[in-house]
Amino acid sequence: MDLEKLRETAAEVVAREDVKYLIGWKNGSYGYRVAPAFIEDAEGAAELIFSPLCISNLSTYLTLVEKLPLPRGQEPDTRKIALMVKGCDSRAVTQLLVEKGIERDGVVVIGCPCPGMIDYDLLAEKYPETEGLSEVKWTDDGFLVIRDGEETNVTRDELLAEKCRLCRYPNPLISDIMLGEPVETWEPAEDKGVEEVDKKDVNGRWAYWEEQFSNCIRCYSCRNVCPLCYCQDCILDRLNPTWVNRAVNFSENTAFNIARAFHLAGRCIECGECERVCPANIPLGRLNRKMAREVRDKYGFEPGLDPEAEPFQASYKPDDPEDFIL
Amino acid sequence: MTDKPKVGVYICHCGINISSTVDVEAVEEFALKLPSVKVARTYSYMCSDPGQALIKEDIKEQGLNRIVVASCSPRMHEPTFRKAIQEAGLNPYFLEMANIREQCSWVHEETEEATAKAKKLITASVAKVRLLEALEAKEVDAEPAALVIGAGIAGIQAALDIADAGFKTYLVEKTPSVGGRMAQLDKTFPTLDCSACILTPKMVDCASHPNIELLSYSEVEEIGGYIGNFDVKVRKKARYVDFDKCTGCGECAAECRVANRIPNEFDQGMGKRSAIYLPFPQAVPAKYTIDPENCLYLSKGKCGKSPKCQDVCGAEAINFEQEDEIVEFKVGAIIVATGFDPFDASRKPEYGYDDYPNVITGMEMERLVSASGPTGGKVMISNGEEEIEPKEIAFIKCVGSRDESVGNEYCSRVCCMYTAKQAHLIRDKLPDANIRIYYMDVRAFGKGYEEFYDRVRRENVRYIRGNPSEIFKRGNKLVVKAENTLTSTPVEDEVDMVVLGVGLEPRAEMRKVMDLLRLSQSPDKFFLEAHPKLRPVDTATDGVFLAGCCQGPKDIPDTVAQAKGAASSALIPLARGKVTIDAQVAEVNEATCRGCGFCVEICPYTAIEMTTVNRFGHEVEVARVNEALCKGCGSCSAACLSDSIQPKSFRDRQILPQIAALGVLK
Repeated sequence: MDLEKLRETAAEVVAREDVKYLIGWKNGSYGYRVAPAFIEDAEGAAELIFSPLCISNLSTYLTLVEKLPLPRGQEPDTRKIALMVKGCDSRAVTQLLVEKGIERDGVVVIGCPCPGMIDYDLLAEKYPETEGLSEVKWTDDGFLVIRDGEETNVTRDELLAEKCRLCRYPNPLISDIMLGEPVETWEPAEDKGVEEVDKKDVNGRWAYWEEQFSNCIRCYSCRNVCPLCYCQDCILDRLNPTWVNRAVNFSENTAFNIARAFHLAGRCIECGECERVCPANIPLGRLNRKMAREVRDKYGFEPGLDPEAEPFQASYKPDDPEDFIL
Repeated sequence: MTDKPKVGVYICHCGINISSTVDVEAVEEFALKLPSVKVARTYSYMCSDPGQALIKEDIKEQGLNRIVVASCSPRMHEPTFRKAIQEAGLNPYFLEMANIREQCSWVHEETEEATAKAKKLITASVAKVRLLEALEAKEVDAEPAALVIGAGIAGIQAALDIADAGFKTYLVEKTPSVGGRMAQLDKTFPTLDCSACILTPKMVDCASHPNIELLSYSEVEEIGGYIGNFDVKVRKKARYVDFDKCTGCGECAAECRVANRIPNEFDQGMGKRSAIYLPFPQAVPAKYTIDPENCLYLSKGKCGKSPKCQDVCGAEAINFEQEDEIVEFKVGAIIVATGFDPFDASRKPEYGYDDYPNVITGMEMERLVSASGPTGGKVMISNGEEEIEPKEIAFIKCVGSRDESVGNEYCSRVCCMYTAKQAHLIRDKLPDANIRIYYMDVRAFGKGYEEFYDRVRRENVRYIRGNPSEIFKRGNKLVVKAENTLTSTPVEDEVDMVVLGVGLEPRAEMRKVMDLLRLSQSPDKFFLEAHPKLRPVDTATDGVFLAGCCQGPKDIPDTVAQAKGAASSALIPLARGKVTIDAQVAEVNEATCRGCGFCVEICPYTAIEMTTVNRFGHEVEVARVNEALCKGCGSCSAACLSDSIQPKSFRDRQILPQIAALGVLK
């Protein structure tokens, strides 16, 4: 993508009177780090980037904004929020529209067609982080890693993030402004992660998840980063009644993770953020993608495609399959 | 109520229904030790007057403020005990029923285990009853009018009864005439009354009744509101004929350029009509209707130099500019009488209904033997080569009924009798014909039915037990292949005509009515009544009642009886002028509601809508419950991700301690 064009467009957008700020990506403080940028003016817009390191889904910030009590007589700021989205991120925006989490008039969606993001862990393992800023760019058939002035060509297969291997929607499905030409879609890879768990028998699957959930430290990073976990008052935080106990043990961890998976059934747009941020390396993507696959196979429904869709969890058809009910 | 809970536990013997399996004395002793329990008693029939008196006395003398009745299902006696404790001065919702009959004594045999379970169930109820809140049932005014959907015999009868009681009734009929299926029948079993002769007076009555507004050729488009206050929107389809000017003379139909070219629905497609038509001679209202699909002028924009109907109509009633009209009104109660569809015989291809013209359905037979039918009542049939008077006639029963292969396990309840009746009518017209009836069983259960069946058998009609496997053609005859299961012999009978005793199916279009009124289907796909025995005309939607075959197959006497039942049920809110709204409804916690609207989508009763509230200066959307519509089913609560909507008396904080007390939760 042409960065000049991006920055120019962003400057134009934030200059608009009806736009409060723009959420995009900018360089972090060292190595491969990329940080979310909240841009209010042209100066800020000049810092924006879009590179294979911009894996984070910024749409979560749309609902993270806290609506603080207003002093009497003060009008709420109802200006629009501009947001940069990749294909996967755009599905989160659409799903938020379906769930009335945001209003269509309240956002300016800036679409960034995405050739695929880099798996940070793979990258840092092969080409360790540097103290100064490193850069990664897309090439025709892979990535170009620039560390301390040293350029290395890497094939796409080597570093592509798992969620991008499986991606079916690299181009934003909803946007007000599209930056650049749509990318060519690729054949999604087989979901080996889900299949690996799926082929175990029920005891094997339980053992697998028992091991994974035992590692959970209940930091709630997955919940906090998720663009679709936006209840201001999460039921898992409540004390009366206490659905999930504060204790960090297998039983409570399992209750938490299963509750979250079910709350996301038919809503998860597979952006992979939960798994990416998990400090305990729990393969949460496998859990959520499994649910998404069930919903797709059994009900023919995929969230985040149509802003007019009936929310999956709230829809019912008399011929819905129910053969899996014991 | 902020008083400390003082609980009374009342354990019912239910004669020996409970006490023979559950050691009620041991349960009583146990209950006394439960937290907050001040009184525990057993009694032979707690629901009896002395039983209720026990509770009332204790409330007054011991100052009890929460009551647990351990007896049967709350569906039986919850209202009884609510009323009792209200009479003693308690809020009626300070009651919890522990079901130790259906869920305990009736399903267990071992006294020790059943007693232990009864103790647990009571422990759970005591845990919950302490946390119940005081609720108030509300009353709202009811609109003194009713809507009846469908004007077959069920709808006509229900409308007449309500109108006769003095209430305005809107009778909506989809087709141009009232009368429904009954108008198509020739004679009615077992008395052989002429169907039209007994029906037409009622049809005329309902059109002329001062309290009935007949909306024929109309469909209900929208229904909102709730019992006592339904808002109804009806589309009156354009007839292209001025209703007030048309005299019903019929000259238009005679002159129509496509006269006698269009299959007549009333005659099951065996007769022909014009594009402008009266469905049948006795149609009510006797007003012509133009069928826009077949009318040359309406479908092609051109009908010769000018449409002939317009030329000949002396009353100048033809109006091609007419448009659909929307009528809106309010009613307090609704009766659904949308009837049935005959089973589509093509779904049993082995009987060759699609292949052979001389394989016909029971409905077609009705028209064939009717004096007003396409042959003027002469039984003539084409065998594919020529029109003949059949000499060998076979009836096959249970076509599309009691047949898992087509998905209908139920008995259609009328085919045994209408087949017998048709056999009798044919015997009358063709004394020498050979009539066979292939059957699985003969179910002649109604008044005078068995006698009629006997009479038909004595009229030289052969009943052969066995369902034919196949019908095929041999020469100009049809061969019915079956096994006579009484003699275990295979039979192959050559016949001139086969009549398929097709069963009754739910209307193909019933989905629309279901969605309008949020009705449910029973496993047979007919509309589901509120209770199969005790509330057979009610539905889960208050103020909506069922009449006739839309609820399940019925003969005419049963249909009329049910229609009268539905009418009298519908009259209750109308006559009372008020309806009571139950207090156990869902409530939204507007502080935590995130406004996603899942509950709005999932509510089966359209009881929830979004509303804007001011949350510390910010306008936010939250859900709000219309208490008059809510049935407290809890679907919303299950769908709510932030747990912000819960039915009163079934809140998490009330249910979870109940579950915990069962020992399920730690």
